Amino acid sequence: MSVDRTGVDERAMGRLIEESHDRHRDAMRASRASLEELVEVGREATIGRDENDARASERQSLLAHGIGGGRALAAAGLGGALLALMARPAFADQTTDVQMLQTATSIEIVAIATYDAALKLPFMGSLPKVVQTFATTTKQQHTEHMQAFSAAVRALGGKAQTAPDPVLLGVVNKAKPGLTGPGALVELAITLEMGAAETYVAFVTTLSDKNARNTTASIMGVEAQHVAVLNAVKALVAAGHPEYLTLPPPLATLPAAAGSAGFPDSFYPYDAARPADEGAVK
Amino acid sequence: MSADRQEPIEISERDLRSMTADLDEMHRSTLPVMKEALAEWAELHHELRSGVARVSPSRRGFLMGAGVALGGLALAACGSSSKSSTPAAASTSTPTSGTPTTGSGKLTGDLAVVALAASLENLAVQTYAGGISAATAGKLGTVPPAVVTFAQTAKSHHTQHAAAWNAVLAGANKPAVTGVDTTVKTAVVDPAFAKVKDVGGLAKLALQLENVAAATYLEAISVVSAPAGIKTAATIEPVELQHAAILFFVLGQYPVPDAFTKMDDARPLTDSIG
Repeated sequence: MSVDRTGVDERAMGRLIEESHDRHRDAMRASRASLEELVEVGREATIGRDENDARASERQSLLAHGIGGGRALAAAGLGGALLALMARPAFADQTTDVQMLQTATSIEIVAIATYDAALKLPFMGSLPKVVQTFATTTKQQHTEHMQAFSAAVRALGGKAQTAPDPVLLGVVNKAKPGLTGPGALVELAITLEMGAAETYVAFVTTLSDKNARNTTASIMGVEAQHVAVLNAVKALVAAGHPEYLTLPPPLATLPAAAGSAGFPDSFYPYDAARPADEGAVK
Repeated sequence: MSADRQEPIEISERDLRSMTADLDEMHRSTLPVMKEALAEWAELHHELRSGVARVSPSRRGFLMGAGVALGGLALAACGSSSKSSTPAAASTSTPTSGTPTTGSGKLTGDLAVVALAASLENLAVQTYAGGISAATAGKLGTVPPAVVTFAQTAKSHHTQHAAAWNAVLAGANKPAVTGVDTTVKTAVVDPAFAKVKDVGGLAKLALQLENVAAATYLEAISVVSAPAGIKTAATIEPVELQHAAILFFVLGQYPVPDAFTKMDDARPLTDSIG
């Protein structure tokens, strides 16, 4: 395997990004298909009451046994709202789904704004090209996620969420003054991406609408991949070797620990999931 | 493993210990979550034993293998339960039933999905183990320490995933799946592994398996009826995709190529297990 110690081959990177965009377009088509199904389900929702009742029964079972890591969430003080929402009658299920999708939208809004701000930080230009590319591409992916969640909200008859998640926005605002170097920025990005991924894992287990669940599931793993990359970046920056952040990487000289730094969990956690109604339109 | 031990590891032992301790702590924190999900499965096993009461149209599609594209695997076809070493002619719609064969007989409904998942995890464990053995025997040239760590950690994760799925089967009074998905093994893994001569070749094969597992779980989330089953798949799928992201990086490719994950590479329940 060739090793590029001088940095990123711009042409190769351009090709990779183009390939990535092609794949985005393919994936968006798949997501649109899911959303079209969602619209169909939304139309049928009023006559599919029996199905909703059956699902509500399952949700009551979830309520009894814990939701999205129930005990852990409750212990962390984050699950109370979700538990309360799940306790509502079956007829309110659709509303609960809409709230979760609105919260997901609001999380994406925070992520987009944060990456946008990060790209304007004075030290960004001095970071390895691949890190800059990651910030740009990830911002775009979050934009597509936000659009998908917004479309899902509309499909289920909900009101569009255009505001950021208030709690995560607070986290970002608190971190802003300390964003004077890559370490703090990566930490903040990990916090946001973990928050998104864990929330979507929890939502996937609780959404009653199948297509809303599929849309969310198709996004949660991507946020987890963002976390993996950021964890790897964090490990290399902490080890004093940001210069190793190239494509391809200098495999032979990477610290051994870098091989597993990206994925610390064998099962994805969700105890830091955001409450279902945290970003819901009030 | 014959990683080049002479290569200087450019990280302090203190840093390394700290990172390892962090990893262990994070790992331990996730185990209770899995145990909770498995406990739910055990409570639901009486429902699982009888298969799925309500079968949605999309679920039927999955069970029948309809519309399953085999995409990245370049698996010509594996529609039947044949254990032939030669893949059949191309087809993505020939499966005839949703009852994968295991050493212990046929399973249906959610349990069939669980068995398929266990067999894919077993295949991943077997493949990583084969890669580590090949590296130890010096067949892959110099293996960088980071790659050694990756392979060992990913293998450990897949072992735990297989154990999780087998715990579900145990909860339903079904025997564990100790075999692998022989359809994928015969058509993809064996021919590819025979050609692996370096770390890059092994990484490409591992990437295929990680993407197949993730796609299968994504589809499972869509079709499994038991909430605890959805939860189990939802906590494993992102981890497989994290493995994939690092493998993309190892291969010099952009690590998060898709804004949305796809089901194209999902395996049908008609795959043979043995």
